[in-house]
Amino acid sequence: MNPREAVSMAVRSIRSHRLRSVLTVLGIVIGIASVVTFATFGASVEAEVLGDLEGSGANNVYVFASPEDDDGFDRAVQPLFTAYDVNQIRDIDGVRAVVPQGIVQVSAVTHGNETVARQQVTATVPETFSNGSTVAGRPFELGAAEAVVNEEAATGFRENLSVGDELRLELSDGGARNVTVVGIVNGTAGELPVGGFGQQPRIYVPADPFYRTVVESPTVGVNQLAYPQVTVVADPARTEAVEQSVAAYLANESDAGQLKSDDVELVARTSGDFAEQIGDVIGQITRFVTGIAVIALVVGAIGIANIMLVSVTERTREIGIMKAVGARNRDVMQLFLFEAALLGLAGSAVGVPLGLVVGWAATRYAEVSFALAPVWMALAVAVGVLVGVVSGLYPAWRAARVDPIDALRHE
Amino acid sequence: MGSASAAPVVELADVRKTYYVGGVVEAMAGVSLSLDAGSYTAVMGPSGSGKSTLLNLVGGLDTPDEGRVTVDGRDLSTASEDELAAVRGTDVGFVFQTFNLMPRLTAVENVALPLVFDGWGRADRTERARELLEDVGLGDRLSHLPTELSGGQRQRVAIARALATDPAIILADEPTGNVDTETGDRIMALLGELHADGHTILLVTHERRIAEHAERIVHVRDGTIERIEDLGDR
Repeated sequence: MNPREAVSMAVRSIRSHRLRSVLTVLGIVIGIASVVTFATFGASVEAEVLGDLEGSGANNVYVFASPEDDDGFDRAVQPLFTAYDVNQIRDIDGVRAVVPQGIVQVSAVTHGNETVARQQVTATVPETFSNGSTVAGRPFELGAAEAVVNEEAATGFRENLSVGDELRLELSDGGARNVTVVGIVNGTAGELPVGGFGQQPRIYVPADPFYRTVVESPTVGVNQLAYPQVTVVADPARTEAVEQSVAAYLANESDAGQLKSDDVELVARTSGDFAEQIGDVIGQITRFVTGIAVIALVVGAIGIANIMLVSVTERTREIGIMKAVGARNRDVMQLFLFEAALLGLAGSAVGVPLGLVVGWAATRYAEVSFALAPVWMALAVAVGVLVGVVSGLYPAWRAARVDPIDALRHE
Repeated sequence: MGSASAAPVVELADVRKTYYVGGVVEAMAGVSLSLDAGSYTAVMGPSGSGKSTLLNLVGGLDTPDEGRVTVDGRDLSTASEDELAAVRGTDVGFVFQTFNLMPRLTAVENVALPLVFDGWGRADRTERARELLEDVGLGDRLSHLPTELSGGQRQRVAIARALATDPAIILADEPTGNVDTETGDRIMALLGELHADGHTILLVTHERRIAEHAERIVHVRDGTIERIEDLGDR
């Protein structure tokens, strides 16, 4: 039998049981829509996060200490990287700048007559502002009583900070320092690229004279400033080579390597590494949730199989008639398979757009930009049809094997 | 017998067929019979005598356990499922007591159904079905569903369907069993016309009056041929 005839007969049969067909298709619609929704939402979140990462210094190598059994990005708290290390790293081929970054504990920050309680400000070097994100003013100078704030911090006071304003820092050791705001920035080179969406308010002060954390350098034998985190700005063409050189230095010769305790490891990562890691995590979550949605699809498939089996029983006599007028087994099989496949296809045709709409709504809700997952969508359609065919196979095979004599006697 | 010189178009040689329905039922216990091309044969017998089995074997709906069934030179006892389907589709046309029309197809579509499986295009088969329905006097019922037709009309649709692929042999199983006497007479007249046109006709009935439309009557009982009664040329 011509496949076009089979399709037209299958369509006819589906339409003659409207309600039943709609309900069967609904099962597939829900399954496909769930898969598409979760896949789309996952792809959107991934694209958003990775987009953020790519925006921030692809040529930076971030150096910090991390607990050995942890994939995490946080806990960059132990001051292990000495001034000696910073100088050594600065001498590595392809390194353009080295930005050490540390924490100065403060109890409060006063602007005019407004005082804000804060725990810490960031002590670093002017190179951290070399990434072109200065919004107003200039970088601070080492040794000066100056500060740079990010936009979030600038707007954190009732009266917005502007270049030239005075801030008073209450240091946690009891002293107090006045600093002049010389610049406002939007992000720095030194910051880890995983701060998440939305920046925290930050105040940056020069390491000299504000940073006081010292350890004895095992190599040089004298007390030196030591930082918990160092960002290496590399020649963009040589980022990976720099990453490897830095890692090798850390492992073999560094002060940090001798100072660290056994349960931490020294890590050098590019933002590409971070992106890969985060992408992996999001991908895993997406696959897991989508996998759960696949269960809905399986339930839908069972629905098709069930309804096709009922249909075969119901139409036994019709199968007998068709055989009596010359239908071959494969003609009968084709009819039932096409019917099942059409149900699956209809489920996909409705489920994919529905899933996209729900996925889009979810991205609106989560405030990430919408990204398509075309591979998943193609897969969803293919799976929909496949689900139809597979769940129709057994019923169709049963139909094809109906004995015409019994079938014609069937009431 | 009919024309003695005509070649047999159907031959059964010592055919045996056993069913297991709660016990052993010997539906065909060694039947030999031949039908000449263009002959008109009625099979009579009480219910359970095996007359329907005989018809099903000739029509390729069933295959014998033993013996040979030859239709138009083709041995059905060794035929594949597809070959049997081809026999049912093009060599024979069935007319059933219960009409066996597809309930959701119109008269034209029902008549055209065998042509779908025979690979005809839509326009051609619709044209053919329309002609056949006009021939059986249903030119004004083309797009009616079976439920919108009377018993006699349904049987005429079924006869038109049996003729769709222009088979040499028409197999009729109690074709008047579900219609009133007057309608039954018209159905039998139609079969008579088909015979006159050269079709070979095998008719199963339990009514003597209906069987007398044939050239000869084969009496069956308990799966065997009791006797063959020759009614002469008609």
